[in-house]
Amino acid sequence: MLFRLTTLLILTVLSIASAQAAQLQQAEFKNGVKLIVEEDHSAPVAMVQVWLKVGGRDELPGKTGLAHVFEHMMFKGSKELGPGEFSRRISAMGGNDNAFTSTDYTAYFETVPSSQVAKVLNMEAERFANLKLRDEDFQKEIKVIMEERRMRTEDDPNSRMFEELSAASLRLHPYRNPVIGWMQDLEKLTIEDVKAFYKKHYVPNNAIVVVVGDVDFTEMKKVVAKSFGRLKSRPVAARFNPVEPEPFGPKRINVEVPAQLPMLAITIPTPVWKPGENDREVAALTLATHIMAGGRSARLSREIVDQQRKAFAAGAGYDASSMGLDLWYAYGMLGPGQSPEAFEGALWALIDDMERKPVDVKRLRAAKRNIIAAQVFAQDSLYLRAKEIGRMEVVGIGAENRDNWLDEIEKVEPSDIQAAVKRWLKRDRSTTGLLKPEVKS
Amino acid sequence: MSLRLIVLFISLFMATPAALAVPPIQKATLSNGSTVLLMEAHNVPMLSMSLVLPAGSAFDAKGKEGTATMLAGMLTDHTAMHDNIAWADMLDQDAIQLAASASYDTLTLSLTVLKDALNPGLDAFSEVLKQPGWNQQRFTIMKQDTLAAAQKEKEEPGVQAAQAAAETLFGDHPYGHRPAGTMQSLAGLTLNDVKDLFGRQIKPQGAVLAVSGDITLAELLPLLEAKLDGWQGKPAQTLAGIAQPEVTAAKSVDVQMPTSQTMVHMTRLGVARSDAGFFPVFVLNHMLGGGGFGSRLMEEVREKRGLVYGVYSYFSPLAVPGPFVISLQTRADQAEQAETVVRSVLAELAAGKITSAQLKASKENLVGSFAQRMDSNRERVGLISMIGIYGLPLDYLSVWTERVAAVTLDAVRTQASRFLKPESWSRVRVGSKLD
Repeated sequence: MLFRLTTLLILTVLSIASAQAAQLQQAEFKNGVKLIVEEDHSAPVAMVQVWLKVGGRDELPGKTGLAHVFEHMMFKGSKELGPGEFSRRISAMGGNDNAFTSTDYTAYFETVPSSQVAKVLNMEAERFANLKLRDEDFQKEIKVIMEERRMRTEDDPNSRMFEELSAASLRLHPYRNPVIGWMQDLEKLTIEDVKAFYKKHYVPNNAIVVVVGDVDFTEMKKVVAKSFGRLKSRPVAARFNPVEPEPFGPKRINVEVPAQLPMLAITIPTPVWKPGENDREVAALTLATHIMAGGRSARLSREIVDQQRKAFAAGAGYDASSMGLDLWYAYGMLGPGQSPEAFEGALWALIDDMERKPVDVKRLRAAKRNIIAAQVFAQDSLYLRAKEIGRMEVVGIGAENRDNWLDEIEKVEPSDIQAAVKRWLKRDRSTTGLLKPEVKS
Repeated sequence: MSLRLIVLFISLFMATPAALAVPPIQKATLSNGSTVLLMEAHNVPMLSMSLVLPAGSAFDAKGKEGTATMLAGMLTDHTAMHDNIAWADMLDQDAIQLAASASYDTLTLSLTVLKDALNPGLDAFSEVLKQPGWNQQRFTIMKQDTLAAAQKEKEEPGVQAAQAAAETLFGDHPYGHRPAGTMQSLAGLTLNDVKDLFGRQIKPQGAVLAVSGDITLAELLPLLEAKLDGWQGKPAQTLAGIAQPEVTAAKSVDVQMPTSQTMVHMTRLGVARSDAGFFPVFVLNHMLGGGGFGSRLMEEVREKRGLVYGVYSYFSPLAVPGPFVISLQTRADQAEQAETVVRSVLAELAAGKITSAQLKASKENLVGSFAQRMDSNRERVGLISMIGIYGLPLDYLSVWTERVAAVTLDAVRTQASRFLKPESWSRVRVGSKLD
């Protein structure tokens, strides 16, 4: 979740509603379940997403990976549905379903013909309330997840390096642990851990139902009232969101694994959007990152890759809708003859230049236009629209702030970008990681 | 206000009976001989379009594998009018998303723009075709970076498996290499190779421009005629000239990589886009491993045995038969077991062990999810351009669900016996413990 290779994606996730986005309609039920609907009648389909305010950050020490394991167990049967039956029924209605887990949330989603939405919501509420957690299913699923970890992380040198770098960058904040979990923890998890997690976190107060598509809000309210709205209210635990201590100086790690070529990356803890408190600053950081890494005129590619030839690919990313803080990052892929030291020097020189010189007004205007356009293009996808709503809600920004983000982007001046870079993107606050291809003796 | 009225009109339209549920594909031919196919969609003020040309990696010269991919990169990097810096600034100024890529058969130049940036977007699009830039210095830089990226890709088991599979299955046939080329072939590429492919194949006659978005044909056509004025000619070769690949005996190939998992990548020849059995094969693949959860492979290898995170199958219906593929990754010591399970699933299906209930489940999913296959402009452009370049009927999308629903158990069994006999599949393994 933390490290996506294209900044463009990161910037679109948060960004907002153009004039075309429909009004969000919201309802809250007595047990704490929330419903958010965005109607779009342009095609007879709907995206249903059930968001949970629980993710990797809510795991206890020694139990990393549990939120994600739990997500897998949601497909293993409930009182009314046998293992795999949920997905089979969705498939038979011509839909498909899946789920995703991050440090901050877990979400389950289905794309279905809009005539089937009520049925889907009833099924979702039923498994939410009556999950069967059988040890035999768990034993198979934990093996599947270990294969997932081997595939995504252990056999991928870049992922491995970013996992280690995140762990080295933070002391308290849960972004230091991988969502998939450390292998050592996965080996120790039991069905009892899964049951305890279910009881503690799958409570109505943690659930947000998002529906985007060819549906009617009044009708949705009735359906959710009769399904999720009837779940028994239970107390909800406060989320783990510690204040990360300020770094005392730069940190550095090496990761030596079998690899073809080196990669160097830096991370820096940065603030996230708190509407009404730091709007200008996080909008400025978003634009600064876009100017460095977004679009065809990205400075990292133009200056460091094309002109200085210090890397064969480079990027950066920042996500203002993380929770607590975000780990800002930049990386360079180094080709034969390109040294990590030279790339690192060039990267900091560029950051220093961003701080010293006001950004060209034309460049700033282009960056703003691209962020706005990306938002319009995202309107074309029900999945992205629902995801944006759910994410803003679970991290505490609130979906009602969706339409304010582009306004904040518009307001940013060159001096705001200089100030934000100066305050946050500092060597003393950074951690540097180097992927070093292992040399066999 | 007018926008809302249009939206209302569309939703009424979508609510009419099945045959009308898919907006029609409108067709026109430009004076330069290229075909325009448009599907209107007025709900978001944007357009996506793709120009598809017979200039994919199948047209790379021998020993020059990767030429089409390099051409795609050069075309969108700069032009004769704008160097790479001015070009990038110009596109970013209007949030114009311009990209090009090469697959086996075709090179695709695509554009996504806001409606109000259509004019500058089409200017850029036509400049690429009419005034390509052949800056030697930029070519040298891009070639170095492509070579480094190709070396980095040696860290990816999937890429190594795909290259080995292409060589194993197709040998000297034009499909016998990945569009990206190899480190060896890329090292030998020159700017002239790239220019030569452009000169031979990037021509309007027979090309297809697929468009989806907020525009009518009456608005679009005059714009295209004006912008593409002066772009003329006929390609040296067409897709019809690609030779039929030869069926060869199944082989085994191992690629060493320092990974903890072994990738098992099985392959054989599949079908051409024009194959009479396309729909039964399509449904069969959905049952085998194309349908995600619920497919036989997912059920047997993951759900029952916990051997993998994912296992899937697909076939590439190209101008001539492309590859049919089954792929999985598992801890090295489980690879043999996983492969045995895959082969027994193949044997069962090949022997006709398919129930009508299973067929019904697959058909229900495919028919019901059809609307999702085309619920964004970019997805629609992909479908429309495929229809255009392979010469499928214009009502292809309107009758798609009927065609799937009409697939019989007999037809699926016939295709299963044609394609799924385990002994007809080659195997590529990538990993560190391959005994």
